[in-house]
Amino acid sequence: MMPAAALEPAEHAWAPPHALLLVCLSLLVLVLWCISLATGYAPLDLAQALSDIANGNKTLGALVLVELRLPRALLGCFVGFSLGITGAGMQGLLRNPLAEPGIIGVSGAAAFGAVAIFYFGLAGAFALALPLGGIAGAAAATVLLYGLAGRGAGTMTLILAGVAINSFAAALTALALNLSPNPYAVTEIVFWLLGSLADRSLPYVWLVLPLMLLGWGLLILSGPALDALTLGEDTAQSLGFDLARLRLQLVAGTALAVGSAVAVTGTIAFVGLVMPHLLRPLVAHRPGRLLLVSGLGGAALTLAADIGVRILPIRPELKLGVVTAIIGAPFLFGLIYRLREEA
Amino acid sequence: MTTTRVLGFLVFAAGALLLTNPSLGAGDPAPTPRRVVSLNLCADELVLRLAQPQNVASVTWLSRDRRNSNVAEIAAGIPINHGRAEEIIALKPDLVIAGAYGAPATVAMLKRAGIPLHVLGVPNSLTDVRNQIKEIADLVGEHDRGEAVIGDMDRSLAAVVLPAASARPRAAVLNPNGMTMAKGTLLDDIMTRAGLTNVAAELAIDKYGQVPLETIVTEDPDVLILSASRDGPPALATDILRHPVLTALAGRTRLVVLPGRLWNCGGPAVVEAIERLRRVAAEAGGAEAPR
Repeated sequence: MMPAAALEPAEHAWAPPHALLLVCLSLLVLVLWCISLATGYAPLDLAQALSDIANGNKTLGALVLVELRLPRALLGCFVGFSLGITGAGMQGLLRNPLAEPGIIGVSGAAAFGAVAIFYFGLAGAFALALPLGGIAGAAAATVLLYGLAGRGAGTMTLILAGVAINSFAAALTALALNLSPNPYAVTEIVFWLLGSLADRSLPYVWLVLPLMLLGWGLLILSGPALDALTLGEDTAQSLGFDLARLRLQLVAGTALAVGSAVAVTGTIAFVGLVMPHLLRPLVAHRPGRLLLVSGLGGAALTLAADIGVRILPIRPELKLGVVTAIIGAPFLFGLIYRLREEA
Repeated sequence: MTTTRVLGFLVFAAGALLLTNPSLGAGDPAPTPRRVVSLNLCADELVLRLAQPQNVASVTWLSRDRRNSNVAEIAAGIPINHGRAEEIIALKPDLVIAGAYGAPATVAMLKRAGIPLHVLGVPNSLTDVRNQIKEIADLVGEHDRGEAVIGDMDRSLAAVVLPAASARPRAAVLNPNGMTMAKGTLLDDIMTRAGLTNVAAELAIDKYGQVPLETIVTEDPDVLILSASRDGPPALATDILRHPVLTALAGRTRLVVLPGRLWNCGGPAVVEAIERLRRVAAEAGGAEAPR
């Protein structure tokens, strides 16, 4: 199990130089971001569209690129990063390999928060209301989860708490959508439970980006404390880390990053589970270093999945959560199997 | 002239007889239903426009919503239902008019209960609209009123001047959820009669279909019909009608908001839809830059 493995962070396995890893992952994200811009439903001369934008010509190509493809690629990047980094952060905080915003109900609660704001017209009151609703939902779930399955509690307690929060949040979301005065709302539960980047717009990106940045910052700053925590709580404290502050910082960072992400794209599960696990060996099992790396991995996975839904010949396009679940669910089965072996 | 008068008198007398003694109607081949219930917004409008108000037992709650209904004023004085079998049976209807796709469980239940049921189809053209008006008028025993409504429609339509065949601006429809309307739909017929060319014909869509915004934008239509009111309560489905890319199209594409109540149902409101789009077509056709 992970705490056991993390207690011996000595070079028990080869890991690439950290800077090299970061550069490679960043390049991967950049390449996928460019592919995402080039992928779409309309034939588009990318070079022509770029030169139109540079010259300020409002051609159709320029419009499609700026107003439709750019927000999609940016959101894929930012939302994926948020999910990856919070997955790593929660796994470090709860010292549990199954902690992930989607599985343990943080994303679900964020979706409920956003739904409650959006469908009852509060999003029109002031622009930040929508992401703040998501953040409030995510924060409530994270605090509740920590109360139910906090430090050192078994995997079983964590998962049960997650199941409870998830089903409660999904029920409340369904209720809110049913009560909405708009007849289309009921069918939109699919978006909130499975997530999508289709037809999102740039104002949404600028709305959530500062909040996400704040969340990422809080999470990355908690890196050294997370590393120390692998040596046990007492040792971490004796090294001078304030654990209460660390918890607050991680909960706030998670709520900010996941809450604002879910508020604009719905719940996209498994990204925060898959990426930390795939990348953990590459950072020599150091949870502090894993944060940034896992964020980049999450961005790459989300961008790739979003390119996938547009390339697959299924119309209307699949929801993003369908693709990430197809990739992520077998992963979860594998993890559960390994946990059982070790038990 | 005299024959119609005599006939009119006979109908009136028969009606009066039926009113005083309903049991007499049992032998009549087509007795006028006295307790008509509608289960569908489109049927609501036809029933409320055509039947005598005292013969309408109930219409759907949707018909009182000004945003979606053309007959909200009339509906305000009629009891409403929510399409549930129990409430419908309790009304003891002698005719229930349902939509082709709505409330299937209720419709099945009413069939089992032996309640006279008429299913109103989906109108796909102006001809269908005329037929539906006749159909419902005959059912509620108001044949003449049906003819009068159709006559009014035809007179208004005759006043719509059709454009020269050369200037037919290209138009696309954007509905909530990115749905568009192609050949074989009422809205397509409305657009054609207003002098517009529906670009959905180029998209290989049969009747209705979901299209990505990207496709709508790159089709570069002269007119974009946002065929639902954009200022309803919020939903993602209607959020798409406020996407910034649509505002950015200003200058090359004319945006027209055409409320769904004007073209969703087969009723006289389709004339207003044609008139509105005709004005848009004239503006777009006149202002169109050479291609």
